[in-house]
Amino acid sequence: MIGLVDGNNFFVSCERVFDRRLVGRPVAVLSNNDGCCVSRSNEFKALGIPMGTPYFQLKDREAAGELFFRSSNYELYGDMSRRIISILRDEAVDVEQYSIDEAFIFPPTTAAADYAIYGRRLRAKILRWVGIPCGIGFAPTKTLAKIANHIGKKLPDGVFLMLDDPTEILSALPVQEVWGVGRRLPAKLHAVRIITAQQLRDAADDTIRSVGGVTLLRTAMELRGIQCHEGLDYDADPDSISCSRSFGEPATTAEALAESIAAYTAQAAAKLRRHGLLASGCNIYAQVFAPCGGGDFIGRTVVFPAPTDATNEMLRAIREEVGALYVSGTRYRKTGIVFFGLEKPGTAHQTDLFDAMPSSEKSRLYAAVDALNARYGKGKVFSAAQGLGARSWHMKRRKLSRRPTTRWDELMTVR
Amino acid sequence: MAAKKNREVCAVSRTVKVSGSVVAGFPSPAEQYLEPPLDLNEFLVKRPSATFFVRVQGDSMVGAGINDGDLLVVDRSLRPASGDVVIASVDGDFTVKTYRHDKDGVRLEPANPNYPVIRLNPGQELDYFGKVTACIHRFAGKR
Repeated sequence: MIGLVDGNNFFVSCERVFDRRLVGRPVAVLSNNDGCCVSRSNEFKALGIPMGTPYFQLKDREAAGELFFRSSNYELYGDMSRRIISILRDEAVDVEQYSIDEAFIFPPTTAAADYAIYGRRLRAKILRWVGIPCGIGFAPTKTLAKIANHIGKKLPDGVFLMLDDPTEILSALPVQEVWGVGRRLPAKLHAVRIITAQQLRDAADDTIRSVGGVTLLRTAMELRGIQCHEGLDYDADPDSISCSRSFGEPATTAEALAESIAAYTAQAAAKLRRHGLLASGCNIYAQVFAPCGGGDFIGRTVVFPAPTDATNEMLRAIREEVGALYVSGTRYRKTGIVFFGLEKPGTAHQTDLFDAMPSSEKSRLYAAVDALNARYGKGKVFSAAQGLGARSWHMKRRKLSRRPTTRWDELMTVR
Repeated sequence: MAAKKNREVCAVSRTVKVSGSVVAGFPSPAEQYLEPPLDLNEFLVKRPSATFFVRVQGDSMVGAGINDGDLLVVDRSLRPASGDVVIASVDGDFTVKTYRHDKDGVRLEPANPNYPVIRLNPGQELDYFGKVTACIHRFAGKR
């Protein structure tokens, strides 16, 4: 059995831990530069305002005291995410972080009846320790666990265990809502009369392969209860841009940690470019080696000066934080990176002349910039978007809450 | 970090692999004396995932040794017991007070006679944030 844990309305839930006035109110967190709604509270959803609604269309209702907004506080969300992953690592045999607010877990139990108890206990622990409500779904495969999670989220105790034949559930689920089918194939599937998840599961392999190749066949197999997604390889899914690996032998040097994280950053950045996305920041992490698995987890949140897909910009931002993962004399099992705040360039803003360039040209540009800087001194050539004065460019975050877990001067105050 | 948790004891039957090309069996004689330096985090923070730092504003808890500007270490994982110093939210604002729970109900007591006791109405649930496990007070002057 595999579990999928995800934070409910994660960004809004993080805001509510430190701002109790937002509890019970219609709140949304805005994308970079306060563009559009990317996380909504249940009260906000109940008003029928869809995900992605531009903020400017809602400003009047905010002024009337009807709606509440916050800018994306990635420093806070990244830190809260690390805390949750750390708890999962203590409680599960293994954890694969999938995005900033989602992780697959491999529970330490095998008895069917125990999953529900385990799930409820885990959920209660995360809620009490970190303050974030989660949904948890258990199922025989990752694809089914995703579905179980969506059901769990809507239940009062937040946990759903998909034990019996899920035919009924799958018949009610539109095929485009199955993980891995997403935006790519619905029209083609509809043409061969595959409308529901159950129809995809039960279709002939040849039909499935002709529509979506081996990737779609893998998804169908997963719906049949056969595990096909192993390791962190969700190449087709732009929701998760992450990369992590275990070391062959436990790593013991700061260099090994830094090099592995740099390599995974480059890999994950390449995937960002393939999907035409920019990342606003990332969590980097290292797991301490423990002979029986489940070693301690050390992580750092890095928010980029501006959303980017350029590996060298990311490495520059990450460099200082990588050192913080290393504790002398410690053996490490695994390192990894998860990007967050993903967006299409130019959706909310146009900050940089070069943003409009195709990524291949952009990478050539950055290669040229790096070569010039190497020759004539660091920082001689730089993007004007970085700012000419203080050389730091900031996203517009007018409604930014405090960053109470990463900045000493922004701690929560108590009277 | 690695030493601070007592994990479940595991069977040490697996083969121990030695990394690098150095011959195993003759470790440096100094190795057994190497110890990490004392770490305040280890002393003050038992459960990092559940621990938050908050800043005190005002003098409502001076009698308990909590002064304006002090840094509090707060552990969310601990359930409050009567007499504990806790962080809770009252009407949307966070406050630090002594938690009391007895036959008279639940209340939050200041440690300063100039401030009122906050009483919860019957049936009203305390919006508890966490238990204060330490107070860090810095002395004025150069540091």
